[in-house]
Amino acid sequence: MTEVLRAVSDALAATVEMAGSGVVRVEARRRLPASGIVWSPDGTIVTAHHVVERDENIAVGLPDGQTVSATLVGRDPTTDLAVLRAEISNLTPPAWVEPDSLRVGHLVLALGRPGQSVQATLGIVSALGESWRTPAGGRVDRYLQTDLVMYPGFSGGPLVDAAGAVLGLNTSALLRGISLTVPTPTLHQVVETLLTHGHVRRGYLGVSAQAVRLPKTLVEELGQETGLLLVSVEPDGPADQGGLLLGDTLVALDGQPVRHLDDLLALLSSDRVSASVPVRIVRGGLLQEVKVTVGEHD
Amino acid sequence: MANLLRQMNGELAAVAGEARRSLVTIGNGRSGVGAGTIWHSDGLILTNAHVVQLSAPLVSLPDGRSRPARILAHDDKLDLAALGVDASGLPTIELGKSKQLRPGQWVLALGHPWGVAGAATAGVIIGMGPPPEMGWPNRELIHASLRLRPGHSGGPMVDTHGRLVGINTMMAGPEVALAVPLHVVKAFLHQALA
Repeated sequence: MTEVLRAVSDALAATVEMAGSGVVRVEARRRLPASGIVWSPDGTIVTAHHVVERDENIAVGLPDGQTVSATLVGRDPTTDLAVLRAEISNLTPPAWVEPDSLRVGHLVLALGRPGQSVQATLGIVSALGESWRTPAGGRVDRYLQTDLVMYPGFSGGPLVDAAGAVLGLNTSALLRGISLTVPTPTLHQVVETLLTHGHVRRGYLGVSAQAVRLPKTLVEELGQETGLLLVSVEPDGPADQGGLLLGDTLVALDGQPVRHLDDLLALLSSDRVSASVPVRIVRGGLLQEVKVTVGEHD
Repeated sequence: MANLLRQMNGELAAVAGEARRSLVTIGNGRSGVGAGTIWHSDGLILTNAHVVQLSAPLVSLPDGRSRPARILAHDDKLDLAALGVDASGLPTIELGKSKQLRPGQWVLALGHPWGVAGAATAGVIIGMGPPPEMGWPNRELIHASLRLRPGHSGGPMVDTHGRLVGINTMMAGPEVALAVPLHVVKAFLHQALA
């Protein structure tokens, strides 16, 4: 009587059970635990940065019910990712898939394990887009938004396709109020970097700056009302070597407007480290452009 | 593929239609209605305790008849109440297995959201257990990703076979429905009416 409906419903539940063996509980904050995904059998776990509120005393709850302690390998706040090492081997990682064939309208599941057992919500892909930069400055290879309900504790868990393969890691913290997924390619890149270096590289200029209002004529010419006044320039730092001076006002870096400190921090991303980028400044009331080689933050 | 979706839609409608036969409306003569689920053909009706907080509930049966109801038992903690009306031959609903619900499987909730009679809404099982961050460590509830509204309370939650698995009860946050699982309902009735 209801063959298709039952078949789909059973398939969804079976998909959850299958993919759920790669979903763990992450106990690293005071309130409700969150979720994580098994990265490799040796105990490497990937989760969301914002659910790892403490650097020590972290525990991971496994699908078989046991809880083991874990250490923080590293975190990247700009993409909201963190890597843990759980004291366990022979974990089962899920099947990973790049979201290349994903289309708006496809059915997807969000999995989580804030408690003992795996939990799930169902939704569709709402929006797909090109690569984007998070407010914190992280580069994400594509925009992947769903209408999934992010139940408490679901952050750090996987987005799963109808075949049970993991498309990425769900987080509710990259953009507030929107269910976003960090797709597998970005996940790969960040996790490998964290496993190798323990952190993700950040660009460095060697300046202190504060936002200031620009003169009216420049506001019209540039289409922005504020820039960043350099209030100190570190001797021999990247900015100094590029010829930036105390009192210059930064208005753009690498072709992107710089209105506030957040803009500059977002632009000093890992892909710009060691790159020579054009920097637009206001000096003596006039617009000028200099080249600066971005340094690395330690 | 479009055929599959059409067939699925037809089947969803069939499940909703079947479940609606055991759905009743519970009023108290004033504004606001709740829902109820026919448990026994001889007039035993199940609902939430919070639906019948006020006295003299009036039950509207699926065939349109209205009957005053007696409250036979209620448990505020479980949020369940059993009502009796003078009727016989009422359509009952097949019982499912709430202990075997699996995260990801589909369920439908029937009720009268904002007074819209016999409305259906669908979602999937999120999980079972106490709701997070609500301070009820020992309460066992079904969590489903669907939206219950005033008027859904006391109505049936059914699986894709159209079998009763829970009684719609409340929301946990804006997106998550909570229902009392069937096995808790059974234990309540067993204790209250034995």
